[in-house]
Parts: sequence; C-alpha cells; structure tokens
Amino acid sequence: MPIWARDFEEGNEVLKLEKVITHYGDVQALQKVSFKVEEGQIVSIIGSNGSGKSTTLNTISGVLRCSSGTIIFDDIRIDQIAPHQIVEAGIVQVPEGRRLFPYMTVYENLKLGSFNSRGRTALKESIQEAFHYFPILAERKNQMAGTLSGGEQQMLAIGRGLMAKPRLLMLDEPSLGLAPLVVEQVFETVKRINLQKITVLLVEQDVFQALALADRAYVLENGAITMEGRAEELLNNPQVKEAYIGI
Amino acid sequence: MTGTGKEFHPKSNGLYGIGVLAILALAALPLLVRNEFYLDLLVMIFFWATLAGAWNLLGGFAGQISLGHTAYFGIGAYASTLLYLNFSLSPWIGLLAGAALSVLVAVFVGYPCFRLSSHFFALATIAFAEVLRLLAAYWRGLTKGGLGLLTPFKTGIGYFMFDNKQAYAYIALAFMLLMIFVSRAIKRSRFGFYLISLREDQDGAESLGVDTHRCKMVALIISVSFTSAMGTFYSQYFQFIDPEICFSISLSIQLPLLSIIGGLGTVLGPVVGAFLLTPIDVLLRGWLGGIFAGLNLIVYGTILIVAVMYFPIGVGGWFKIKWERWLKDWMGSPAISLKMDNAVTSLPPLRGPEESKTNGQVLFEVRSLEKHFGGLQAVHNLSFQIKRGEIVGLIGPNGAGKTTIFNLISGFYSADGGEMEFHGQRITGLAPPHKLCRKGIGRTFQIVKPFNNMSVLENIMVGVFCLLKDPRKSRIEALRIINFAGLSKHQFSPASSLTIADRKRLELARALATKPDLLLLDEVVAGLTPRETKELMSIIQSISAQGITILMIEHVMKAVMALSGRIIVIHHGEKIAEGTPAEVGENKAVIDAYLGKGFRRGK
Amino acid sequence: MLQLVVNGLLLGGIYALISIGLTLIFGVLEIINFAHGEFLMLSMYAAFWLFQLYGVDPYLSILVILPAFFVIGLAIQRITIQPVLNSPPLNQIFTTIGLSIILQNVALFFFKADYRTVKTSYSDLGLNLVGLIISFPRLIAFILAMGIIAALLIYLKSTYTGMAIRALAQERRASMLMGIDVYKTYRIAFGIGIACVGAAGSILMPIYFVFPTVGSLFVLIAFVVVILGGYNSLIGSLIGGLIIGVIEGFSGFFISPHLKEAVYFVIFIFILLFKPTGLFGRR
Repeated sequence: MPIWARDFEEGNEVLKLEKVITHYGDVQALQKVSFKVEEGQIVSIIGSNGSGKSTTLNTISGVLRCSSGTIIFDDIRIDQIAPHQIVEAGIVQVPEGRRLFPYMTVYENLKLGSFNSRGRTALKESIQEAFHYFPILAERKNQMAGTLSGGEQQMLAIGRGLMAKPRLLMLDEPSLGLAPLVVEQVFETVKRINLQKITVLLVEQDVFQALALADRAYVLENGAITMEGRAEELLNNPQVKEAYIGI
Repeated sequence: MTGTGKEFHPKSNGLYGIGVLAILALAALPLLVRNEFYLDLLVMIFFWATLAGAWNLLGGFAGQISLGHTAYFGIGAYASTLLYLNFSLSPWIGLLAGAALSVLVAVFVGYPCFRLSSHFFALATIAFAEVLRLLAAYWRGLTKGGLGLLTPFKTGIGYFMFDNKQAYAYIALAFMLLMIFVSRAIKRSRFGFYLISLREDQDGAESLGVDTHRCKMVALIISVSFTSAMGTFYSQYFQFIDPEICFSISLSIQLPLLSIIGGLGTVLGPVVGAFLLTPIDVLLRGWLGGIFAGLNLIVYGTILIVAVMYFPIGVGGWFKIKWERWLKDWMGSPAISLKMDNAVTSLPPLRGPEESKTNGQVLFEVRSLEKHFGGLQAVHNLSFQIKRGEIVGLIGPNGAGKTTIFNLISGFYSADGGEMEFHGQRITGLAPPHKLCRKGIGRTFQIVKPFNNMSVLENIMVGVFCLLKDPRKSRIEALRIINFAGLSKHQFSPASSLTIADRKRLELARALATKPDLLLLDEVVAGLTPRETKELMSIIQSISAQGITILMIEHVMKAVMALSGRIIVIHHGEKIAEGTPAEVGENKAVIDAYLGKGFRRGK
Repeated sequence: MLQLVVNGLLLGGIYALISIGLTLIFGVLEIINFAHGEFLMLSMYAAFWLFQLYGVDPYLSILVILPAFFVIGLAIQRITIQPVLNSPPLNQIFTTIGLSIILQNVALFFFKADYRTVKTSYSDLGLNLVGLIISFPRLIAFILAMGIIAALLIYLKSTYTGMAIRALAQERRASMLMGIDVYKTYRIAFGIGIACVGAAGSILMPIYFVFPTVGSLFVLIAFVVVILGGYNSLIGSLIGGLIIGVIEGFSGFFISPHLKEAVYFVIFIFILLFKPTGLFGRR
C-alpha cells in the first residue's frame, strides 16, 4: 500500500477536463473535450485511429499544450504547467509503443521511472513491488530493454510507470502489438494495480478488453466525445461499432 | 517570394526603370570616385557581393549550407595563376579552366555529401576545404606552398591586369551584375521554384515531380563556377595568393554571413549584405589598424547571432517586406484577369484526352507486395487492383501499414518483394519519387508539407511545372486550380499563414496540379470540422468526376464509407477484406480487427 | 615503433576528453557546438594566466577551471543555445559559429596574437620506462584525462541526473514522462560538455602553446574523433580519441608532419559518406 496516498475517497473527482481544445501539428485534434475521472475508478477512452486518444493523454501529461479549456487535477489547474511538474503532481503516463530506454537495462529503466521526488525516496521498496507484480522482470534485471519481447516490454513500461508513485496512472494502448494471451495478462495486471487504489485512465483500441475492464467509458470520434456511460452499457450498444467502422 | 503579380501589371515598367537607373548609377561610380582607398573599397564590395550571391544560390535558394566554399575559391585562384605562370595562358582562359576544374571537383566530392543531414553536410564541407588547404600548403612542387604565388605585374587586358583600379572595378561590377541577373532569372524560372521547394520540403518537392538531386547539382555547379571565377579575380587584383588566403575558413564563413544579414534566399540580399558590411570592415581595419584587432569580428559575431535568432529574414528581407508593401500601395492590387469564382469550375484538361472512355480498365495493380523493416513485417503478401475511375478506400486499425503502402507506391520506400504495375507498365523499384509523379501518380501526405515560405500560388505552380515549363503559362494554370480548390482568397498569402483546412486543400490542389491519373490521398479529412469535411469531400467527388482515380487512406469512417465505391481493409500489413462499404462493415474479420475479438462474442 | 604508439596514445587521451564533451552535447542537444574549440582556447588562457599571475600549476588549476567552466557552460546554453533549440539547422549552426567568432576575437583583443606557453619545473622531464622515453607532462595529462573521463562515465551511469542525461539522448518523449525537466537537463549536459573541454585545456597547457585561434586546430580533430567513434557514443569518443592520437603519430612519422592532418580529414569524409554511425554509433 503506497505510503504517500491521501485518504482515499470514493466519488472524489481526481481528474476533470473541460472543453479542452488541442492542436497537434496541423490538426485540431481535440474539439472541446470534457470528461471526468473519479478516484479509484478505471475509466476507459475508446475510439478508432486518429480519434484523438493519444492526444488526450499527451495533453493531460503536458507534452502538448491545449489551446483552450481547463484540466483540473485534485482542485489544481494543470493545463499550463510543464510535463515534469505534472509527473511530480502524481499523474504518470505509460506511453503508446512503450517507449522504453532501449540502451538501458531493465533495472535502469525502472530506476528512471522513480525520477520524481516521491519515487526516489521509495526506490528500494518500489523496485521490490515492481518485481512482485512482474517476476519476469526480476529475472531479466540486467538485460537491455531493447532486447525484451513485446509483452515483457509492456510489463516493464507499466512497472516503470508505477515507480513514479502515481495517483493517476494513464495507459496509452497497452495492447498494441501484443498477442491475445499477453493482452489478457496485461489487463489482469491493470486490474490488480487498480485494486491497490491507484486510479486508472486507459486509452484503448481493443474495445472489448477496455470495456470489460473499465467502470466507465467515453467514446472519442474525430476529436470529440460522442458517447459516454457505464462500460457494461456501452458493451451492448451497437452505436459503438458504428463509431469505429462507420456503418 | 511573394507578390509575383507584378509582371502582369502595366506599372511594372516603372520598376524596370528603377532597376536600370540603379545599374547606371553603379556603373558611374568607378569613374566618379577618384580616391584610391574608396575605389579599392568599391572593388571589394562588388567582389564580396558576387561571392555571397554565388553562395546564396546554393545556401539560400536550395538550402544546402556549405561552409567550405573557400575550396572552390582557392581552386579557381590557383588554377588560373598556375596556368598563367607556367604556360603563359591568359588568366581569362584560366578563369574558365579553374571554373571547370572546380565544377569537376564539386560534382565528385561535394555532390555525394548532399546525402548528409545539414549539420554533417556543413562539417564535411569544412573538412574538405581543410584538406585542400593542406594540400596547397605542402605540395610545394606545385604550389610553392606557404610562399605563395606572386604574379609579376604586366598591364594589358589579355593579362587580366591593369594599372588603374577602375578597370578592376568594372570587371567586378560586371560579375556582380551577372550574378544578380542569373539569380533573378533563376528565381523566376521553373528551376528557381524547384530549388526553393526542395529547400522548404524535400519530400514534398519530390512528390510533385521535382528531381531534387539534379536540381541540387545544377545549383552547386553554378555556385561553384562563380566562386571559382572570383578566386581568379582575386589573384589578378592582388597579384599574390597563398594557401592561408585562398582556403581560409573565415572566407567560408563570410559568405553565409553576408547572405544572412542581407537576406537569405533573396536575389539582392547578398548584395545588400556586401554593401553594408564590406565598408564597415575595411574602414574599421583601416582606421583602427592593429590596435583593436578583432573588434570588428566581435561585432560581426554578435550581429550574426542576433540576426539568426531574431531577424532570420535579414536586413534585406526586412527591406523587401517594406518595399513590397509600398509597391502594393503604389500600384494597387495586381490586376489578375481571372475572376474569383467560388463555384466549382472544371479542372484543366487531364493528361490524355481518351481517359474517361476507358473507365473500368485496370489502372494500377499490386501483386504479392512485401516490405519489412528489420525484423518487423510491415506489408505482407499484398495484392489488389484499382480500376480507372474508382474511388477506393484503404482502411485498417492503427499501425496496419497503410502509409507504408502509399510510400511504396509513390517511390519513397522500395519493396522487398512483389510487383507493382501502373498503366500496364512495371513500376516496382522505380525511384526516386519524382519519377512516379511523372508517370502520373500523385499523392498527399498525412502531415501536410506546404512550402511555407512560398505563396499559395507559388506552391501550386511547383506542381504545375511538372508538365508546363513556362512560368507565365504555369501561373495561369495554377490560378485555375486555385479557383477549383476554393483558395482564391489566399492566392498570394504565404502557405504558413493558412488554416489547417486550407492547408489540406493546398496539399490536394498541389498534387492535382501534376495532373495525376492516380491520386493517393493520405488522411485528407483528418482533424477537420464536419463542415470542412463535407466541403473537402465534395471537392474529392468532383475530382473523381473528372476521371481521376483515387485511392484514399482514411480514419474518418463516415467520410470514407460515404465516398468510396470499394474498400480494402489492411491489418498487420495484410489484406483481410475487400468489398463494398456495406460488405466490409459486416465482415467478421474487420469487426474483430477494429473492436477486438471479444466484442462480437461479448454481445 | 612502440614509442610512436605510446606517444600517440598519450596525446589521444586529451583528444578523447575534448571530443567526449562534443559528443555529449551533440547526443543530448542534437546540435554541433562549432565553438567547442574556443572554450578549449579560453581554458588554456585561464590556466596560463593562473600560472603567470599566481604561480598555480596548470594541473592544479583544473580544480578551479572545471567547475568554473561548468557554470560558464550553463550560462552560455541559456543565453545562446536554448533559444535556437527548435530552430532550423541553419540557425543553430550559425549561432555557435557566431559564438566562435566572438570568443576568438575577444581573446585576440585582450590577449593579442602571441603564442604563450607555460614552463613548469617538470616540463621537460622524461621518464624512461621499459626502454621507452615517456614525457612526464604527457603522462600526467593522460592520467588526468582518463580520470576525468572515468569519473564522467561513472556519474552518467549511477546518478539520477546522469541517467537523465543518457535517457534524454535516447528517448525524449519518455524522458518527459518520467518527470525529467528536459530544459534543465539540456543545460546540465551542455555545462558538463564545456567543463570537460575546459579541463582538457588546463591539461593541454603545459605541453602545447596557446594563441587565439588554437581552438580551430583542435576542434577539427575533435570532429573527426566524434564521427570516427560514433556521434552518439561516449565510449566511441574515448576509443576514437586514442585511435586518432596514434594515427597522427604514425602519419606524422611516415608521411609528413604537416600532412598528417590531411590524413584524418580524408578519413573523416570517408566515414561520413560510407559509415556515418562510426565505430560505436547507434541508429
């Protein structure tokens, strides 16, 4: 159980986006996006390619700056602050495609995950936790991250994210490029992480897995939220399919 | 490069008048100035203006930053001087010989370096000039090494030596005027458009049929010839050369310095830079002598940094903008005769007149196409056909390989296996991309690549130049396409000032200008508002109505499903389905690919 | 013969130290510091004046010069480099070239063009080891250079900031997401690069002579080392430096003392054209 956590309150709004517009290169990628994430939930954002899912996470992480709108995390406005400060505040992203440091070992990747001040003080403990979640990483502790298999890389990426002691963990398409069995394992792990009272925001293209795992979901189409609701409701909604395939 | 409407305007003769006056004034100067010191200054100004102008052709127009131009200066100087001293060959002929030698060296050594990225290219040019300096310094048998070469004074035009500075001034002036004339001619020509387009975006230029390698080479040859000629001039003016003077890195740096401060990539920028800085330099050195040695360079260095950070367009560029604004006010808006018509008008005629009759025939075919990157199989066993007149949609989940396919078709990637045929001709392995454009395959890019420092009109002209060589005719064609694409309001605005929707239109219009038979559209409606999407979709429909075959990658499903007659679905680089939109929408494999296998079962 | 190799290696150590700073800067900030040689020149002058005015041995003045140049590096990065980090290459190239011009001429203005040297009690001392004559100052120079490089490599491997620097060179996006302050890390990397070349100048002073344009000589060698070793490999710069030292020794002896530079420039161009990643470079 993480020692730094505040008193856990169900129903408390951890993250709130209001009318966020982001431009990404040439494209207005997010068009007045509004949604919220409550403490302890797993919230999923689903949508097809180019719908703006990664842009949403990158805007929250500060990698992209929104042109207008507000992002509030625990009553603090975070839409104008630098990326490293957002990590410091407690929002950690596991990026699309993993983006590990290829020429560093598993251990070094994990250690870098603990770069922020909270993470550093808990380094030893966090490493043990990471190895507990992902025993395979303990085995490969001194191996170069670039040489791991896809599934192992994803595990390492999530482990690295956890090292930062997040309050809100955001995952960008963790299933990308992974075999179905591995995908199941990954989602299993996300569930276990959530049970440790870490709020999760999950962006996924694999609709079934995402909706099976999440409490609540939002559908992004071309930069705008077109549907929202409880995950199990959306799973049975034919309009979701239409959002993806257009028919 | 804006405001090109001048040529059509009746008052443009006034401009020519001003130009002629300026030349006459310059020509009169050497006669009027009597003082030796100032005459020498004049010679040096013309000298540096020519050298900087030559550098600017390669560095400003084409964007290839060479920091080793002194190499060619030195080759020119040594070649002509050695030929004169050893064989009594007139330095005028020596000048030509030196230029020829420089060109030879440039083509064999300089040209392969174009492959390198900017920083490395600059380094390579520096190293190359250094090698030549060392050779000149230590091959004493040939060059007398550090002693240098002294040309004994012998007056006479055949000897390219004169007892008065006026003659030198006129020769230097002639070179400078020639340089300006050549620069101007290039800038207004198809070649000039091509050079600037490849500077702005090389891939974009290639996709429009610009043979970027050949263009760079021609620019290099012209640039090097003038530089070499000035080397000869230097030797004849000062009658002494040595390796330190001729292969000096500070000369290499002076050229871009003058161009940047004067206005990089403009015709008169280098001239302005020379007129501004040469007097300051010479006068400073003359007055302050050795006491404050280096002070002038400290000032230059600071000016350079400040210019590069805050005034990238240079003094000349700043003046140019003021000048053009004043011109606009004086002459009124250019009177281009074509009316602004927002209704979609018909496109200029297509390549071949019989195209529409042959609808339904196979235009493009792919068989067992393969492409891998290292261990990753990006495209596998891909086969499909596209018939003339169709609109085919290419869809598939993230990372499926769709843009890779476009890159393979348009010549940006080479296939590892399989065949591609266009118009019945084999095009597999055809590269670079400009060749495919010339065969009739046009494309847009997922992230648009406008030529930012060119106007909308000029952007489209680059495309038109694929088939039309004359700039005037090209402009008219381009205007027709601008009308069709609904960009008339912005025709003279720089591409960088457009909204995203308009930039997408520009990208489309530019590709259209090359009169393709097959048009590849890569996510053209991504990120547009519903209204903008609808507008673009209707443009695409009218393009198709004109007989152009379209293959489009799209994620905006509603758009692609509505437009396409047929859909091909790609997943993990393989085709998993093909058919009408309705068929594909119900296809089990497709649903699994997009929504995940569990989705159907979970319901 | 062996004598040549040894002499080459000793000098190569200094080349390595100069180049490693350059590689660090290029690997992390992705700009080529054309003014690198000028910092070498400045630190040589600093060592010279410290000796001249206060009698401080150049090898001791490293203790002052290294941290001082780190701070100078931080400042220069903030003022001149940071504004052009996202500008086109042309602007970046000319910013550092402009800086180079300014520094050279400031030195010319204040110190004049005369050659200066430092003569210590052991400047001419030679040691006789296993039949080879080894110049004492060169040996010290080598040991110091290797020491600093070793310390640098350890720092980059084990401290958080050091790891952040390596991370930033490999994966910028992920570094941001780890909570690494990208701009601060850029500054530190640049500062370290300048500190390295500053130390190199101090080490070089006893065995060479300083004049305002001495930087240009050495920076060209450094470029060759960086490209030979691999433009994003620190180990590459180390090995490359030693190799170039040896090559210089050999070509100086067998070809001509003057044309030896031409040899490694030709190598340089060849590598750029045919194997741009050099010996140890990646991607």
